[in-house]
Parts: sequence; structure tokens; C-alpha cells
Amino acid sequence: MINVSFWNILWTVVNLLVLFIAFKIFFFKPIAAIIAKRQEEANEIFKSAKEKEETAAEKARQYDEKLADAEEEKKQILSEARKNADGQYQQIVAQAKASASEIKTAAATEANREKEQIIASAKKEIADIIVDATTKVVGGQTGAQVDSSLFDEFIDKAGE
Amino acid sequence: MSSSLAERLIEELNCETVFTIHLGSFEIPVMESVVVTWIVMAVLILIAIILTRGLKTQNISKRQAFAELVYEKLTGIVGGMLGEEGKIYTGYLTTVLLYIGLSNIIGLFGFKSPTKDLNVTAALALMSIVLVEFAGIYQNGVKKWLHKFTEPVAIVTPFNILDVFTRPLSLCMRLFGNVLGAFVIMELLKIVFPPVVPAVFSLYFDIFDGLLQAYVFVFLTSLYIKEAVE
Repeated sequence: MINVSFWNILWTVVNLLVLFIAFKIFFFKPIAAIIAKRQEEANEIFKSAKEKEETAAEKARQYDEKLADAEEEKKQILSEARKNADGQYQQIVAQAKASASEIKTAAATEANREKEQIIASAKKEIADIIVDATTKVVGGQTGAQVDSSLFDEFIDKAGE
Repeated sequence: MSSSLAERLIEELNCETVFTIHLGSFEIPVMESVVVTWIVMAVLILIAIILTRGLKTQNISKRQAFAELVYEKLTGIVGGMLGEEGKIYTGYLTTVLLYIGLSNIIGLFGFKSPTKDLNVTAALALMSIVLVEFAGIYQNGVKKWLHKFTEPVAIVTPFNILDVFTRPLSLCMRLFGNVLGAFVIMELLKIVFPPVVPAVFSLYFDIFDGLLQAYVFVFLTSLYIKEAVE
């Protein structure tokens, strides 16, 4: 019980060292290794997840950019089209105006011409009437009588 | 009756030589406590091997989960007591914790606890103080280690030197005395109040006190190491 035995102490020391080494080999090292490995794997997964997230964010950003570009382009096209349409409208209106004024001018010219023609023909008719009347008067009367009747006739005819 | 009780106690307490190894001119006796220590070692190593078979990183078995839990808890407790600088001694002290723990409760299975043999606790204490002093020298160098004996004031130097001997002695005797005392009390209870009362006390003296003493031993050793490596 209380007898101190050198060999017993030595045995126990050896036993403890053997147990310690065995535990290191069979218990501590494998479990520590597997825990470290799991940690590493978790880190790896975490890292790759983060990378994927970053890529996704980058892609989203690119899409947004593209979308904005498309929007911009749409606006530009629309405004161009609008501008074009406006120009064409103006052109058409201008053309219409031009042709309207042309038509007006032509009509006025025609009217003038017809008026002149009518006047001319009226003059001619008057002259004819005068000649006719003159002939008639000259044929029937003489002197001042003729002159006065001619004049009256002329006035009458002119007054019509 | 009292003489037979005394005889039985003496018989139980005596650590007999199981066999002797003849090695040249040496005669190496192998005591009962050493044989039981081998049994304890075999059980512990077997459990360790069974627990750490086929370790995986994912989809772990319940066995592995248990092994990892035990590992984390034990190294957590011991490592926490040792502090950051003493972490490398966690493995040894955890082993000692398991060894003393199982040695103290192996009496329940009909073996003589190895820790009931003074030589075993002496060897444990010896290794503890060697480890403590080694840790101090390894961490601080011989000069600083020697200087530590004069801290905090020079006058305590003799006491500090005495500490080197009293610490392992107290470790050794505390463990031995507790196991021995618990054993004697249990034997007496078994004789005086059979059969139910001893079972209740057995919970305390055989299991709780056994594990507590294992913890105390490791706790004190780690405290000394922590102090030495500071």
C-alpha cells in the first residue's frame, strides 16, 4: 500500500508515456486532423460561394448597364424618328403651301387673262356696235342729227 | 468480525506483485496496479480506436459526433485551464485526466484502482512536476526559470524551492488519500449498512469523487504549468 517501489513508479511512468503516445496517435491527431480538414472544406465552400456571389453581382451590374444602354438607344431612336417625322411634316406642309399658292397664282392669272379676253371681246363688240350704229345712222340721217343720235345711241349702249 | 474486516481491508489495500520479469541481473516486479493500469490503457486505447474509425468531414456518424464532442470538451476544459502559452501540454493532461478518471472508477468493475497504489500517484505527481519545470525552462529559458524562484521577493526563494517538492507531494498524497479514504469508507458502509445505503454513497465516493479527483489533479497541474510559462 504505502511501500514505495522504484519499479512500480518506473512502470507507471512508462505506462503513462505509452498511453499518451497512443492517445496522440489514435485519438488527438485523427480528430484534430478531421476537424481541421472540415474547417478547410468549409472555408473552401465559403470562398467559392463568395466568388459566385461576386460573379453574379458583376453579371447583374452588366445586365443593368446593358439595359440602361438599350433604354438610351431607344430614346435616341425615338427622338430621331420624331425629328424625322417633324421634318417630313414641315416639308409636306411647305410643299402643300407652295402648291396651293402656285394654284392660286395660276387661277389668278387665268382669271386675269379671261377678264382681259372678255374686255377685249367686249371692246370689239362695242366697236362693232358703234360701227354698226354708225352705219345705220349714217345711212338714215345727216349732219348734227346724226352726230347727236349717234352720241345718244352710244351713251345708251354704253350705259347698258 | 473486526479482525476479519481489518484483514480484508489490508488484503484489498495491499498491492501484490503479480509476476516478476527476469532481465539479466535485474528482477523487475510487475505489481497489481501496473496490470490494472494496462487494463485501463487497453480500454482507453480501444475506445479511442473504435471512436476514431472511419472519420469523415461530412455526413458524420453518431460515433464520430460523440468522439468529436468528447475531444472538443476535454481539450476545451484542459486547454482553458492551461491558457494560450501552455496549449501544447493539453494532450498529455487530457490523457492523464482520462487515465485517472477511469482508474478511480474501475473499482466498480471489481479491479483494484491503480490510484489506490501510492507508487502510481507518486509517478503521476513526478511526471507533473517534471512537466511543470520543463515547461518553465522551455518557455522562459534556464536563466529566467531560475530567476523565477526569487519572485516576487528574494526572501521567498526557499519556499519557492520547497514548492518544487511540496507540489508533487501534495498532488500525490491528495489523489492517493482521496481514493484510499473513499475506498475505506465504502468498505465500512458495505459492512455496516448493507445493501441499499452503500449504493447511494457509491455514487458519490466511487464515481463523483473519483472523477473530481482526476479533475483536481489535472487542474492543479495545469495551474502550475500556467504559472510556470507566464
